[in-house]
Amino acid sequence: MLANFLKGSAAAAALSLIAALPASAVDLQFYFPVAVGGGAAKTIEGLTETYMKDHPDVKIDPIYAGSYQDTITKVITAARGGNAPQIAVALSTDMFTLLDDDLILPFDDYAKGEEGKKWIEGFYPAFMENSQFDGKTYGIPFQRSTPVLYWNKDAFKEAGLDPETPPATWDEMVEMGKKLTKTDASGNTTQWGVRIPSSGFPYWLFQGLVIEAGGKLTNGEGTETYFDSPEVIEAAQYLVDLSTKDKVMEPGILDWGATPKDFFERRSAMVWTTTGNLTNMHDNAPFPFGVAMLPEKAQRGAPTGGGNFYLFKGSSDEQLEAAVKFIEWITAPEQSAIWTKATGYVAPRPATWDTETMKDYAKGFPQVLVARDQLQYAKAELSTHENQRVTQFLNDALAAAITGQKPVEEALKEAQAKADQVLAAYR
Amino acid sequence: MSAFDRYLWNGGAALLAALWIAPLLYAVWTAFHPSAYEAHFTLTAPLTLENFVKAWNAAPFARYFLNTFILVTGITAAQFVLCSLAAYGFARFSFPGRDLLFSLVLLQLLVMPDILIVENYKIIHAMNAVDTLQAIALPYIASGFGVFLIRQAFMTVPRELDDAARIEGSGPLAILWRVYVPLAKPTYLAYGLVSVSYHWNNFLWPLIVTNSVETRPVTVGLSVFATTDSGTEWAVINAATLMTSAPLLLAFLLFQRQFVQSFMRAGIK
Repeated sequence: MLANFLKGSAAAAALSLIAALPASAVDLQFYFPVAVGGGAAKTIEGLTETYMKDHPDVKIDPIYAGSYQDTITKVITAARGGNAPQIAVALSTDMFTLLDDDLILPFDDYAKGEEGKKWIEGFYPAFMENSQFDGKTYGIPFQRSTPVLYWNKDAFKEAGLDPETPPATWDEMVEMGKKLTKTDASGNTTQWGVRIPSSGFPYWLFQGLVIEAGGKLTNGEGTETYFDSPEVIEAAQYLVDLSTKDKVMEPGILDWGATPKDFFERRSAMVWTTTGNLTNMHDNAPFPFGVAMLPEKAQRGAPTGGGNFYLFKGSSDEQLEAAVKFIEWITAPEQSAIWTKATGYVAPRPATWDTETMKDYAKGFPQVLVARDQLQYAKAELSTHENQRVTQFLNDALAAAITGQKPVEEALKEAQAKADQVLAAYR
Repeated sequence: MSAFDRYLWNGGAALLAALWIAPLLYAVWTAFHPSAYEAHFTLTAPLTLENFVKAWNAAPFARYFLNTFILVTGITAAQFVLCSLAAYGFARFSFPGRDLLFSLVLLQLLVMPDILIVENYKIIHAMNAVDTLQAIALPYIASGFGVFLIRQAFMTVPRELDDAARIEGSGPLAILWRVYVPLAKPTYLAYGLVSVSYHWNNFLWPLIVTNSVETRPVTVGLSVFATTDSGTEWAVINAATLMTSAPLLLAFLLFQRQFVQSFMRAGIK
């Protein structure tokens, strides 16, 4: 091992000499996470290879870095260790964290001129909300999603409901849910009306309820949260009531990952989950299903979610310009259509939906259009400075309310007080 | 001990054992049955190896296994050499500052390796060794725990044996090799098993310092299946988990007696 290591470092020294010489090709490192199945990593690697074939002067090393959590850990460590990648995909909500650590650069400086401006303006505004800060663009939407409601048409028929009409309002969802909830002779529920999963990151789907109630979780600048506002409390009360009062949802913490399976096995007739699941549902649901926007209270609403491209400090201008060119290419309509089709993520630019590929796809599978149409009501996902800590306060409060450990209002007041303490430093 | 006490005692032990084995049994069940049986436990459920095939094809596991194998054997071998030499020095030689140095080595036991990740990464990057197997191994080779454990074993070796070997004309290194190392075998075995299982399971540091299939160990390869957005395929995940942990499980079953005994012996002396 030691000998190996010595050999290794000798080779490394030689390599660094070579690296110091001016290179003819631009080398780029590109870290990306994958949060959906279906060979998403292979799609990204394939696209990167196509790009390199057309641009022999650029060499891109796509590094699959695991989950979002793994990727951000890896990126931040590498950047602090002086070896930042040029490009990485990370959660759009990580923007403030990356800014606080002074690791990322705005795209505006590298996507120059009219053309660059037009490119940045060509994304859906809902996706740009947590990609821009202080008039600058730090994130370029890529694997973006939004939650939708999936419903089992067979179950609707059995319950005497119109299989083509999903619930449009909160009250309708409860009414339909009551008809869809089935109990067997011994009193066990065999099919629940609805499932809003609450494990891991309950704040995300909950934020949909908050927007629908007409409220918001933050001020959009990452410095204020409104966890104890009346709308947020109303939304949390509705969520808790689904299990305790209306009895249309299984009580307790519902696992996020088991949700598609629960739907396939007819244990829940309606489920809320991400559009990132669309391809999975399409391939595996054993019954006809529909996709709907989330139901409304005061208004329609949903959070956005998913990952953005970020541009990292610590590389030469030449590398960064090449990196931005690559990102421009991979978010262009043709490439973006391939990506959306492979995964179910919402194509982040209106232009993508006009390509032949997407038109054909939507013709055979019109459900893909629901998420796009919902975007006009969508708001930025909860994101603040010290995002992980602040989000955790809300997650804990929701878990405590759902499991009945604390009354809804008390739990949310506590979360707000804790968030105030953390965020005071940034105001 | 009354009969009742004994029942209580055995019952408690059985309960703990059942708790411990339950996830493993569940993993075995789901891995060998089609995914429809993940939550239905019927004895007549059809058996299948399809989940293993799926998992094996989903990632280059053969390469990951090779990487892990090279990694754990390399680390353990290097640790044996370095820690033995250091332990010998601390146990049998007196030199100024010895106790201070030894307490510095012991300080290492108080520091979680995860805290040092950024600093370690900086050093590895400065050596231009990012994305190599030796990069994964380097931070762990000079193990404070290893030095401590082996030193304790060396201290119990009677001085007379040392003197006898010296009279026969052995130099210090020959004495280490012929007298101390053979007598500390149980300690080496215990330490080796602990080290192998730790590095087989290590995840965070290898994740951060490796970028390619050629260097990633099985744990990092396994995280391929953490695709939370589209739902969790327990059958395939458990098949992959069983595959990656099988070598360790087998080793533990084979060496179970030595594993437990050697630790007791190393501790009692």
